Amino acid sequence: MAKARLIGDRTSKVMVQAMERRAADVRGRVFQFSLLTTLLISLFIIGVLIADVMIDAWGLLTGRPGGFLSGTMRSLSDDPKLGVQQALVGTFWIAVFVAVLAFPIGIGAAIWLEEYAPRNRFTRFIELNIRNLAGVPSIVYGLLGLFLFVQSLGDLTGGKSIAAAGITLAILVLPIVIITAQEAIRAVPQGLKEGAYGVGATKWTMIRSQVLPYAAPGIFTGTLLSMSRGIGEAAPLLLVGAVSGRLGGNPGFFDLSAINAESFMAMPVIIVEWVQNSGRDPGFAEAAAAAIVVLLVFVILMNAAAILLRNHFEKKRG
Amino acid sequence: MSDSRVDLAEGFSVESLTANPRQARKERLIRDSLGATALVSVLISGLIIWSLFSEAWTFMVEVDWGAVWDIGWFPRRGIYDIKTLIVASLIVTGIAMIVAGPLGLGAAIYLSEYARPGVRRTLKPILEILAGIPSVVLGFFALEWIAPNVVKTLFGGPAAGSLLAAGIGVGVLVIPLVASISEDAMKAVPMSLREASSGLGARKITTTVRVVLPAAVSGLMAAFIVAVSRALGETMVVFMAGGAAQTAVYTHDPLDGSLTMTAGMTSLARGTDSVVGEGLTFQSLFFVGLVLFIVTFALNLVADRFVHRVREQY
Amino acid sequence: MRLRKLRFAARSLASSNSNLSKSARPLVLILGLMTTFALIAAACGGGNDDEEVPSGQSDVADQGQDSGGAVSGRVTISGSSTVEPISVRVAELFEDVQPDVRVTVDGPGTGDGFKLFCEGETDISDASRPIKESEAADCAEAGIEYVELRVGIDGIAVMTGENNPVDCVSFNDIYGMVGPESTGFGSWSDAGSLSGLETSNLPDASLDIYGPGEESGTFDSFVEIVLEHIADERGQDATTRPDYNANADDNVIIQGIQSGDTSFGWVGYAFAAHASGVKLLQVDGGEGCKSANADTIASGEYPVSRALYIYVNKANAAASPALTAYVDFYLSDEGLGTAVSQVGYVNLTDDAKSATRANWSGR
Repeated sequence: MAKARLIGDRTSKVMVQAMERRAADVRGRVFQFSLLTTLLISLFIIGVLIADVMIDAWGLLTGRPGGFLSGTMRSLSDDPKLGVQQALVGTFWIAVFVAVLAFPIGIGAAIWLEEYAPRNRFTRFIELNIRNLAGVPSIVYGLLGLFLFVQSLGDLTGGKSIAAAGITLAILVLPIVIITAQEAIRAVPQGLKEGAYGVGATKWTMIRSQVLPYAAPGIFTGTLLSMSRGIGEAAPLLLVGAVSGRLGGNPGFFDLSAINAESFMAMPVIIVEWVQNSGRDPGFAEAAAAAIVVLLVFVILMNAAAILLRNHFEKKRG
Repeated sequence: MSDSRVDLAEGFSVESLTANPRQARKERLIRDSLGATALVSVLISGLIIWSLFSEAWTFMVEVDWGAVWDIGWFPRRGIYDIKTLIVASLIVTGIAMIVAGPLGLGAAIYLSEYARPGVRRTLKPILEILAGIPSVVLGFFALEWIAPNVVKTLFGGPAAGSLLAAGIGVGVLVIPLVASISEDAMKAVPMSLREASSGLGARKITTTVRVVLPAAVSGLMAAFIVAVSRALGETMVVFMAGGAAQTAVYTHDPLDGSLTMTAGMTSLARGTDSVVGEGLTFQSLFFVGLVLFIVTFALNLVADRFVHRVREQY
Repeated sequence: MRLRKLRFAARSLASSNSNLSKSARPLVLILGLMTTFALIAAACGGGNDDEEVPSGQSDVADQGQDSGGAVSGRVTISGSSTVEPISVRVAELFEDVQPDVRVTVDGPGTGDGFKLFCEGETDISDASRPIKESEAADCAEAGIEYVELRVGIDGIAVMTGENNPVDCVSFNDIYGMVGPESTGFGSWSDAGSLSGLETSNLPDASLDIYGPGEESGTFDSFVEIVLEHIADERGQDATTRPDYNANADDNVIIQGIQSGDTSFGWVGYAFAAHASGVKLLQVDGGEGCKSANADTIASGEYPVSRALYIYVNKANAAASPALTAYVDFYLSDEGLGTAVSQVGYVNLTDDAKSATRANWSGR
């Protein structure tokens, strides 16, 4: 009895010592603190970025929010008609192109890769190829668009048109759509599929009734992320030929002639344009900031929705 | 996945149940059209390589190679000094990695090893929001805030654009990328390794630095390489905050303005007469694009190898 | 029906969380709807590209042009990148009064502009110099009659640091310092080392050059006014040396010039007029040193200046009320006065404005 208690005492003493030593682990504390600092610096940068943009944009956005959204490109920053409608229209149509081209093709490719593709070298090659495409710099896609859709197929797309820009950006986000959809499909439990087969479903019926519904939130998250990437991308549009300077006319959102008209504007490009104009006319820096706020509202909403959606389902499915 | 067939009884499979010719035809049609969508990606790669090579080839054949090693990048004058662009790209990428490496890795270690689940759940999405911010926004930020407040105040550089301002901007842009790939790599390290280490009496810091990080080194390498590739290919931040307009004299001072490969290409497309120019101006665009493509492609392949090694290990 | 049964059966077999697929269904639906909508929209877009109005012919919706009533149609302008900002600004102001007229402007350069103009592609050609005889011949051959209208004056300020003892430079001096043959020169006096180039007595002081980049209209103007003539005589390309500090931001150029006593640079006159800490140099274009100010530029006395023109296609103007209304507006005080000065050029003298208007009404 006494001996056992002695051992117990000794053990607990050692443990307490160990714990005390741990509590006084200065190096460990400093390490942990510096790690936390790095994370906080990153968060601080986001905070400063958003504050900086908001401060610059404040006057314009609170002064005439409606006029700014419905206005057009102007050569002077104090022109009361200055605004982003042409750019919003351009970005809207680019988003439509992305949705029409990249989503069906990307999801289709993901289904094939996960459910149909034979496990051989060719499939592995396709998958490697897709991963590489996802890492190709966006400006290289701009070169592709310039060469193929503006020059070679100019008669079809209308040259430096929204159509050319939209197709280029659809191609740019395609690998992201495929990869995220693949991950979502891969997460579908085998049991669900076997259950469908068990009651006599064909492969496609099984995919339609089990795989797609289960994978839908994941796929949807991926499409949101790729859409937000697509509408924020500027470099390919500059190469495909978004105008600099004046864009005549101000077509409405559903004016379809805008699609292959020989000139277009988009949100990220108008920001670049105005930042460059701020060299001769400092008021354009505020206009650029206001346009950034408009763009960020869309991008952050999409991203936040995607992240929330993913976290929600991750938690639910454990 | 195609082997998920369920044998109900001997000689009686799901296939035999579905062997209705019309249905089978429909199934084949669906399979083939899905297969075709997967081939689109191969087609795209082919088109990228074709478009880059066809124009870049013209450039390489016709250019006077003396003009490719000259005083700077003046495409409209027929001076295509590629080293100006490459050196600027390397400077920007180097600065970006100095910023993003420690910040991204530190954030990743904290999120993976230290943060309590609740903290992680709130902090990580914010980092992911940063990942989603378009690069034009960071370009604006680099020019309007980083240049006057960091480059000018701390380094005595210009308040307008410079390679340093652009590099810091690109660094901020790739922090989330470094953080998320590194965190994945550390999460992939089996819990048992950490438990064994703690069981031997190691402190948390020892476990993290001596056990987890070495075990995750392949993934960390991948994170680093992917970030370098991304920084090399980043366009808008360097175009807006790089401090050069259209042309650049060779420089290796980060406080100067210059053009990176990507900014040089964008500048060409941004001139008043778009990309028509004289002589080989248009082709030079594709030549630079090809160089960039090859470099980033090689980096991505290497990174892919590292990622695979992680998967094979655990 | 069959599908639902299947789904149910499969779910019970798999004994997995059955709520998941159900809650995901609306998402699939939304996604599907979005895609369908987008497809329809794009399909409609394909067939809709034939409504382009040919340039110069307006769909004369309203003939009340003389009374200033609403007109509609299209005006196509091309030409000098220096004049482009004026035409753009006029178009913006004009759009506020005549929202149904669509004015497109681009600026590939004066020469390219005249090529298009004499092929009948454009209604108006912007020009930073009078039309050349060869170009006029092209137009005559194509049967295109035009009227020449002077709209404003472009002046470029040549500057140095406040404390520089130099007050005046000649075209030859400028050529020697920033011309195509001066690559690598680090001192003002190096300009004199070019054989056959007569320069003033320039000091041996360090030379840092700041100016707009090649893409800028001011760069083109500077080269065409100051350097081109001398470069042609010497058999050189009409351009500057490449190794100077080029920047698109006029503020940065001014700051650069401020930063050193003997730095050198140039920007548009309107921007330089309000700058402090720099000295505007007098320039000798062959008729003695002239200082830069609004009067000497408007009168053409200051040599680094030139008149800007638009050329209007007469036949198109007669046929298109939209084009006539645009040019009328261009020549009103809002055009020749407001727009010209807003984009940084110097207004014509009152006499010159009257002459331009007389030219137009007497077409």
